[in-house]
Amino acid sequence: MVKISVLQHAPSAHLPNRPGDPIPTSRNLDPLLHPFSRARERTRALNAAKMERIFAKPFVGSLGGHIDAVEVLSKKPGSVNTIASGSWDGGVIVHNLSQRSRICRIQGAHQGKVSGVCFAGGHRLLSCGVDSSVKLWDASPQSDEVSQPKPLNVFPGKSAFNAIDHHRSDPLFATASTTVQIWDETKSSAISNLTFPTSTETVTSVRFNLSETSILGSIGSDRTFTLYDIRTGKAERRVIMQMRSNALAWSPTFPTSVLLASEDHNLYTFDVRQLTNPTQIYKGHVAAVMSCDWAPTGLEFVSGGWDRTVRIWKEGQGTNPEVYHTKRMQRVSSSLFSGDARFVMTGSDDGNVRIWKAKASEKLGIITARERAAIEYRETLKERWKYDSEVGKIARRRNIPKPVYQAAKLKRTMLDARQVKEERRRKHTRAGESKPKAERKKVVITEQT
Amino acid sequence: MDALIAKADAIQILSNDKKRKRHASGSSHPPKYNQAKASSSKTSKSAGGQDKTLTSVAARTALPKSLRNADDDPALEGVSSHSHIKNLKLRAQLNRTAQHAARAKSMRDDAELLLTNDGGRLHVENDMERTWRVGQDEIAQGAGGEAAKGRKEWRLDGGPYRCRYTRNGRHMAIVGKSGHVATFDWQTGTMHSELQLQETCRDITFLHDHSFYAVAQKKYAFIYDRDGVEIHRLKSHIEPTRLEFLPFHWLLASVGNNSSLTYQDTSTGAIVATHRTKLGPTVSLGQNPHTGVLCLGHTNGQVTLWTPNLPHPAVQLLAHVGPVVSLSVDPGGSFAGSGSTGVGGGEGGRYLATMGQDGMVKVWDCRNWKGEVRSWRARGGPGEVEWSARGALAVATGGSVNIYTKPTLTTSNSAPPPLYLTHPVPSRPLSGLRFCPYTDVLTIGHSAGLSSILVPGAGEPNFDSSEADPFERSKARREREVRTLLEKVAPDAITLDPDTIGRMATEKKLTTAVNETHDIPFLKLPRMERLRVQGRADETDMDGMDEDGNGEENGEGGANGKKQSREEREKRKQRGKGKSLKRYLRKQRKNVVDPTAVAIRAKLDKQRAEKQLARKIEKGEIVPRKPSALDRFRK
Repeated sequence: MVKISVLQHAPSAHLPNRPGDPIPTSRNLDPLLHPFSRARERTRALNAAKMERIFAKPFVGSLGGHIDAVEVLSKKPGSVNTIASGSWDGGVIVHNLSQRSRICRIQGAHQGKVSGVCFAGGHRLLSCGVDSSVKLWDASPQSDEVSQPKPLNVFPGKSAFNAIDHHRSDPLFATASTTVQIWDETKSSAISNLTFPTSTETVTSVRFNLSETSILGSIGSDRTFTLYDIRTGKAERRVIMQMRSNALAWSPTFPTSVLLASEDHNLYTFDVRQLTNPTQIYKGHVAAVMSCDWAPTGLEFVSGGWDRTVRIWKEGQGTNPEVYHTKRMQRVSSSLFSGDARFVMTGSDDGNVRIWKAKASEKLGIITARERAAIEYRETLKERWKYDSEVGKIARRRNIPKPVYQAAKLKRTMLDARQVKEERRRKHTRAGESKPKAERKKVVITEQT
Repeated sequence: MDALIAKADAIQILSNDKKRKRHASGSSHPPKYNQAKASSSKTSKSAGGQDKTLTSVAARTALPKSLRNADDDPALEGVSSHSHIKNLKLRAQLNRTAQHAARAKSMRDDAELLLTNDGGRLHVENDMERTWRVGQDEIAQGAGGEAAKGRKEWRLDGGPYRCRYTRNGRHMAIVGKSGHVATFDWQTGTMHSELQLQETCRDITFLHDHSFYAVAQKKYAFIYDRDGVEIHRLKSHIEPTRLEFLPFHWLLASVGNNSSLTYQDTSTGAIVATHRTKLGPTVSLGQNPHTGVLCLGHTNGQVTLWTPNLPHPAVQLLAHVGPVVSLSVDPGGSFAGSGSTGVGGGEGGRYLATMGQDGMVKVWDCRNWKGEVRSWRARGGPGEVEWSARGALAVATGGSVNIYTKPTLTTSNSAPPPLYLTHPVPSRPLSGLRFCPYTDVLTIGHSAGLSSILVPGAGEPNFDSSEADPFERSKARREREVRTLLEKVAPDAITLDPDTIGRMATEKKLTTAVNETHDIPFLKLPRMERLRVQGRADETDMDGMDEDGNGEENGEGGANGKKQSREEREKRKQRGKGKSLKRYLRKQRKNVVDPTAVAIRAKLDKQRAEKQLARKIEKGEIVPRKPSALDRFRK
């Protein structure tokens, strides 16, 4: 007797029980049922890479109001939508980012340019300028445009100020002029002067560390980066580099890490425990880097340069940054990451403050769970197939302005030629006479204590 | 209190426990309490035997993956630890990838338990019973219910019929020689369209789903929509004899009497490639569903394998002495219908079955064309062959259809393989043979219409809704259409080996860095060579590794324990005068007509003739002709 069974699918098992129920699906993961799975996945990755580039529209909007170049930007600690900007025309504006409106406008806050702005807790704002004064303002929302606020306090100094930064918790602030000065908000003169014993430089920027709050870092015109401690009241260490730095920023999550934007087109992260060489060099700009700021996550940072581009870097990845540019944006003198790490603000020579998305192709607005899942799947696909020549090419490629492209090309040619020349020279000198020096070892000339 | 706790058998006093452990192990390090190792057998021996709480909890507790110890996961056994890589960051990343792949693989293996449906089967109780003695009436009776509906007879005029199913097996298209075309849902019996084209029709195929189909008519191929409205006349397909649709590439391929093979993209309408085969009218066509390679059978007995991006056949094979009337590629499942337990695990597209005009049926191994795996003479003369999804081969000859099954079909033997089922069809000739996907139904086209028979165990029992779903609703069908269109694979990706995509590129040979004489500055060298000069290149042999990181078993096993590095192998490779050419020819067999082999053979013959001539001149048997001024006019 032969037992017979023939394959049959019960329709009831594959159809919804009641109207409105989801239609049952069945899965069989046998590779034989999924031919070309790898080729199809590659096509999906290719589409994902293309979609990312199609939807890469990073520019969100611009905030006007200044009649001259924007020199400095500062975000309000603990707030995601308030920033202040200071300009060469001597005006200071406090912006509301979410409404793209002005909260407060102080015209003629200083004679000449406003060189530094920072929030001092609550609605109070500190500004300093080249007119050798620091002013404390009440920047609470203005009822009308015409009324001109009066400064709450004026701190007179002896020479032009270049930068200002407020202490994380105490009512102290530091200014940079020919020396670094520490001020108390309640006292009219500086409570201490900090300077490296032998230095005669102009200090261009000063910043408090965000977690070791009594530590200060400053950069100066003598190509230096100096560390101070306000508890001991003196400069602890300084390094002299090949080129001067234009901006510095302390990492918000990794207290010993500091980022320097250098005149030699590069950015450097230093570990302050080991100042002999940078932990990473970030190469990409084709002119001096004018400003930099960390994302609050400490995983990314933004930089703006003399080459009219804004670049967004991943921490630890020294090449291939995201590049933003527009036709009308001039030299970028200040840049800022927003408090929620989703946006980037830049101030440039054309007098505008621009808002950009930190991820160029990110969708703003509500995202449903299915859409989120699709976005994450596309991200994974791009990550997985990034070494495929076609996918990688689409993901990496950026259209940049022709002058920037030409400058980069020229720079590459020159650097290559220099290296080849160096190598040839070494080949024709006595063996072992000159040894190649790692790029990271070339940055710092000397470290002084 | 102590006694009470001891009785409760759960929590023990720490001090007692410590003492006992020190006694037991006698070592300075008492076994550390490790949560992650709680489930492993190692700790259950040392500590678990004592700690009742731990053992009682461990069985029902699952730690999150991030807290688990990698050593304890059985899925991660044998995963490479990439210890040869110095860069810690890279090594950690590679380890993570390999572990992820291994875990995914084990989970995929586990998912096999969830397959609900068992395939059909004919189960004989003793050796004296033969499955082929069972007739269709008996099977239909034994099947019962829904499955018995698969047994059908369609009596139709208009001459030998051919048929085709959609990929989900729900819809069927039939075409008669004299122009009767119909498409319908064969399970519900809903007719979509019926046409009387009044001219010779040779083949029919559905496009991506049942909403379009193409018919090979007298002069051109035509595309009709579901309602039978003519959508396109494809004038570039001239006198087509056979049609084939590649669903993942959206290519409609046709071969015709003018000996050309035409690929047309049905999503854009572009002609992707037209190959002149130069081998006369093509009489049979089949596709390899796993590679997209088309197999053509010609009247001179050759079988050629084509891809759109090669202007010549990828493989050319002399298969039969007469015309190749039918061929089919094995989709790769292993047959479980006659009692042997073989589920999954087959290789897709490995076997090719051909049938010649002389009635010979041959089964070829596509990895090695040295000779057929099995061949036998079908008694009724020429007919059709067709593989099912689970590896049953149907052979229609004369007045009957015979079905053979996998393990015996692909073992080398000169005798015909044992018969699995047979079914007589009185209306000759038998012109079309198709298995219905995901069911045990075989449809036979013949001169008096079509008949469907039941072949237990032929169909794949568990479908995947994301690929092909017999119970698909119209909305799902529309969505799938868009999705497959977005995932359309480029026609250039069709190759004999589909795994070339996503594999590591083969490293280019050393050019400059090996010899020190080059004048290229270090900076201008390619990256791999710069690394090699610096001594930082990863020289480990990755031949045995595939992408999933689980290919070690075939990499190391064969080499008797000693593994040669790439350089060593390169060095040991035998090189001699024309030896590689001879080796190449030795490996080539006479029945494979390969243009390179022909050229090499000619070259060797010429060399041999020259050598003989030189030898004879040396011996003085021939006096060499003096060169004359007139030599320049010789050809």
